[in-house]
Amino acid sequence: MSTKRAEYLDCPLCGFEFEKHDTACAHGCPLGRFCKLVCCPNCQYEFPDRPESIGLLQRLFHRPKPPVARPDAIPLTELDEGESSELVCLNCEHPHRRNSLAVYGLVPGSRVVLQQKRPAYVVRVGETELALEAAIACEILVRRV
Amino acid sequence: MRRHENNVAITADRPVGTGQPTLVLVGNPNVGKSVLFSRLTGKYVTVSNYPGTTVEIARGNADIEGESVVVLDTPGVNELAPRTEDARVTCDVLRDYPEATIVQVADAKNLRRALLLTLQLAELRRPQVLVLNMMDELRKSGGRVDTRKLSELLGIPVVPTIATAGMGIQLLRKSLESAAAPRVPVDAASGRGYEQTTKYLAEANKILAQVYAHVRPQRPTFAQRLGSWAMHPIKGLGILALVLYFTFWFVGLLGAGTAVDFLEHVVFGRYVSPWAIRVADAVLPFPHTNHTEVSQYKFQIPLTPTRGIVIAESQRTVLAPTYSIAPGATLGGWTQTRRLAHDFLVGQYGVVTMAISYALAIVLPIVTTFFLVFSLLEDSGYLPRLAIMVNRVFRWMGLNGKAVLPMILGLGCDTMATMTTRILETRKERVITTLLLSLSIPCSAQLGVLLAMIASISFRAALFWLVLNIAIMIGIGWLAAKLMGGDGSDFILELPPMRRPQLSNVFIKTFARLEWYLKEVVPLFILGTAILFVLDKLAVLDKIARLGEPLVTGWLGLPRETASAFLIGFLRRDYGAVYLLDAATGPKAILTPHQVLVSMVTITLFMPCIATLFMISRELGRKTAMWITLFIFPFAFLVGGLVNHIGRLFGL
Repeated sequence: MSTKRAEYLDCPLCGFEFEKHDTACAHGCPLGRFCKLVCCPNCQYEFPDRPESIGLLQRLFHRPKPPVARPDAIPLTELDEGESSELVCLNCEHPHRRNSLAVYGLVPGSRVVLQQKRPAYVVRVGETELALEAAIACEILVRRV
Repeated sequence: MRRHENNVAITADRPVGTGQPTLVLVGNPNVGKSVLFSRLTGKYVTVSNYPGTTVEIARGNADIEGESVVVLDTPGVNELAPRTEDARVTCDVLRDYPEATIVQVADAKNLRRALLLTLQLAELRRPQVLVLNMMDELRKSGGRVDTRKLSELLGIPVVPTIATAGMGIQLLRKSLESAAAPRVPVDAASGRGYEQTTKYLAEANKILAQVYAHVRPQRPTFAQRLGSWAMHPIKGLGILALVLYFTFWFVGLLGAGTAVDFLEHVVFGRYVSPWAIRVADAVLPFPHTNHTEVSQYKFQIPLTPTRGIVIAESQRTVLAPTYSIAPGATLGGWTQTRRLAHDFLVGQYGVVTMAISYALAIVLPIVTTFFLVFSLLEDSGYLPRLAIMVNRVFRWMGLNGKAVLPMILGLGCDTMATMTTRILETRKERVITTLLLSLSIPCSAQLGVLLAMIASISFRAALFWLVLNIAIMIGIGWLAAKLMGGDGSDFILELPPMRRPQLSNVFIKTFARLEWYLKEVVPLFILGTAILFVLDKLAVLDKIARLGEPLVTGWLGLPRETASAFLIGFLRRDYGAVYLLDAATGPKAILTPHQVLVSMVTITLFMPCIATLFMISRELGRKTAMWITLFIFPFAFLVGGLVNHIGRLFGL
């Protein structure tokens, strides 16, 4: 079993995020591995994959993405202590982080109660109490209930 | 244990490699797999209220309906993707035993997450049983699960249990026969990931709606309130201070003070050692006169490191392990041999008078009291809350709050702690934690000795030692985090409910750890003493001490005799510290307070013991172990020397 973390790509057209090996043209394209284009499984848009050297540069001069503003949702960090909310979406920078939250039951539609903010954020999802860092908590977008 | 193509037919209904039916216990972290395991097999594995304490697979045999069955306990997983070391181990077990029956253990209170795992396990199409554990806690929290309906929906037996009380185990044994592959729609094609998790959770919600009812109790229980206080920014600090003080009092004062005094001065000093000397004299006679010394003993209940309530006091003259031979007497060959054997057993570096008495009188009480407190904290569910309180500080060191568990365990035994670094997610975190453990976390045996040495220096010097040690830990951690490549991990930590610790569980756990410790430690002590004895007899000790003299006397400014303490320090750090303690506070004290401070700093930074080194190379590989060693020893001498010179410069 591979221990390497899967590589993720963002579609420049529709913003869909997918694992690199999931590219829609990877299965059955006659060009196979010689093709340098990847195809978004969501909108079928084809775009060139990012070369390794650019990836390195991007990592060096990386600046965190500003959180996507959504009119209908606020970050979890803006709730008051004790407030109850419904999860709208996980706006995580790393998809693997999104899944590690999801396995605790943090998926869109679930009821999240913010229990405390300091020294770490503590949320309750169902019967699970979960402690999160601020950096992760602000990637969880919720709607007040 | 791989399947060979040619014997598939033979092993068709038998698990590969064992020739026996096998059960694999799988489940979310902290749901009671280990308790269930010991209920089924009668074997004990360390059970605690901290997610992720099973780092190795436990294996045992159970008698199920008259048949011997192999039972495997796996580390807890939240999903079947090999993202962490623990999950990797669990996935490997499932792959290596393709014929095994899967017993999924679930926390009945937290069915949603258990069902996510059930659906992932269902993809394997294996006979499966779902155990709903902690039914008592479910009832207390006001929930109800319709197990019959759940069993119908999933198509597998569902068994409610309370593993800690042994309830439902019989039912589980019976229902193993009817284990079946779940009849649920699965979606193996989309692969493990966020999409699949969402899909399965939606499925789980559908099932839950039919079987689960919950009425939340109006008032939070005391345990729940205590749990939230423990992570409150202010009350939490108060509780942290209380816990620390209690630990210090119980381990540092009661264990390392009262209990060690009693065992060392009374049990060993007055009875065991003199008795052993007399027996040795009778069995291995040669002309000599034994020395005597005055043993003073105060039985007291400690309040602070320097004050306590004295309950009884006594003074007695006892035999010492040293002797003198009448001047001019010559000893023949046989007598010499007898003398050598005599010295080996009860001499100054004797097995009984030094190794056994150090191991049992000094180390044992400290380790016992430490493990008692640790097991108590672990069982109560306080440790994850502690992780929350210290997360910020650990972030500076490139770690997160989860690393607090190995760090605290390191105060008990660094070797054991090095093994538990496996609960950390990335290699970077494991290397940093291991390095800091070896560098600046003194183990309990050493801590007791250091505390005794502190008593002989001023409060300011002691504070300096503490601050310097913490500063080194944070500084080196920060530097290592900056220099090392690789990722840290996210701080997402599940909080188990606070529970009243079960005393029997605490004692069994302490006992299991002590047994492990004694098996490891006593042979090492005897080995260490034997090496010391040989070096002493061959007068090599002096030579090596002279060789290291420039370093020890020049750079560290310590007397020549302490060189051998550092030499022993290579073998066992605490052992070297004991040796230094004798030099610092023993009847023939040769160290000034300044020198005590220098030697304390140096010995704290040393690699704990040879066993830790073995453990590091097992966990991280030989290369990393070598780098860690090559860093630690010069660094310890460097800092010790700096303390010496700067201290002298300012005339402290």
